[in-house]
Amino acid sequence: MSFYSVFFIFVITNRLSLMKGRVIYFAILTVLVFSCRSATNKTNEFIFPEADSFPAGEAEKLSSEAIEDISRNITSPVEIANLLQTMEVPFSPEYLASSVDANKQGTAFDRALTLGILGADLGYLNMYEKTGSSIDILSSIKKLAEGIRVGQFFDFETIKRLSLNKSNLDSLLFLSIDSYTQIDKYLRDNNRGQLSSLIIIGVWIEGQYLATQVIKQYPDTMLRDRIGEQKIILNDLLLLASPYCNLDNEFRELCKDLQYLKERYRDVRITFTLGDPVSVPKDGGLVVTQTETSNVEMTDEQLAGITELTSSIRNKLIDDN
Amino acid sequence: MIISMKKYILSLSLLFATFLITYGQSADPLVSKCVMSAGQTTKYLKDFRVQLGEGGSESDFRFKANMSLWKNTTYRFTMCNSDDSKGQLILTIKDKANKTILSSFDPETGKIYSFVDLHCNKSGIYQLYYDFTNKQSGSAVGVISMIR
Repeated sequence: MSFYSVFFIFVITNRLSLMKGRVIYFAILTVLVFSCRSATNKTNEFIFPEADSFPAGEAEKLSSEAIEDISRNITSPVEIANLLQTMEVPFSPEYLASSVDANKQGTAFDRALTLGILGADLGYLNMYEKTGSSIDILSSIKKLAEGIRVGQFFDFETIKRLSLNKSNLDSLLFLSIDSYTQIDKYLRDNNRGQLSSLIIIGVWIEGQYLATQVIKQYPDTMLRDRIGEQKIILNDLLLLASPYCNLDNEFRELCKDLQYLKERYRDVRITFTLGDPVSVPKDGGLVVTQTETSNVEMTDEQLAGITELTSSIRNKLIDDN
Repeated sequence: MIISMKKYILSLSLLFATFLITYGQSADPLVSKCVMSAGQTTKYLKDFRVQLGEGGSESDFRFKANMSLWKNTTYRFTMCNSDDSKGQLILTIKDKANKTILSSFDPETGKIYSFVDLHCNKSGIYQLYYDFTNKQSGSAVGVISMIR
């Protein structure tokens, strides 16, 4: 609750004898509603909010449903970390964006993008159960989320407790992912879709960075395919960013980088073989095996080009921040 | 009298403020329960909260969503109905060519599976269709996890 709301309640309650109870009650509720909505702003000075919301229809050229679909199509960093574990790749803190200083994120663009990057790192840490190390990242995520006024959707204390206790990985994953889902929805519902897009792009770039860095040390066909398969959703990512590409220089630069990456993927081929799924009831459930397959054709040069550009984009993003 | 009214109003206001703060953070108990019921060997990825009224005679599923599924991954799709749900949640997944990959409802036996595991061998974007049996009204959750 802000200083202004406390002061307002004080004044109001001292004038009870002059006003009708119902009016006071609604006045207090109104103040509380607005003070809660800006609860993340902890300064005593009035700060004009950054112009980070845009009327729907001007900037939002994609429907909310389409954006939601795209955000679901992005490979979860949890899935990439799972693949790395299957490959028995040991955890390495070198892949993390540890150099990011949440206090130095000057713009909403930086904060949202970094929120995505650190979200992917959090998924990686959680999957490897390096939960003690995730506390620093959680603190940064908290600051960044508050910086774009969505801190209320992140239950930091519970996530921190679950991390420290190592009690239940599924609850931890659920709470972490659910917090990001709620932030994403809130931003889109409040005409701040450009920030939601940046978070999604940040998550994807960091996941892609992780995969491409690991493959340099641990060559593996499954991981190589996963990197090649990202071609499927790169177009969607560009679509997600496209309504905002002319918003400012930061967006222009990001869109240009994604476009360059798309170019690197141009000659990567994904082919399919046909087949019908086979279903077998088992343990009260149904087990379905796809006999259809997808196959990635990507040369070493193409992979090297994608790896090099991904690293350059990601490092530029965290260095600029 | 005025002092007790002051206290009453302030208490109400504080209660309301607490509700507002906690409301945005509370997880749906049905979702949490369903995540937990997916099994020890699974890792949570996504959930869909499906709440639908009684449907008409349309044959289409009423809740649709896209999701990317990746080769060499086994996914578990778990369906959990709330206690007061009239219908039971069923899931059908189709690929981009509209080919049915799986359904949690077997029309031949009438059996409804509460979970379906998919060994995915073809990466791509799939359509997930949820609805309730016989287009009844219902409230349920579909949780997607990955089997390690």
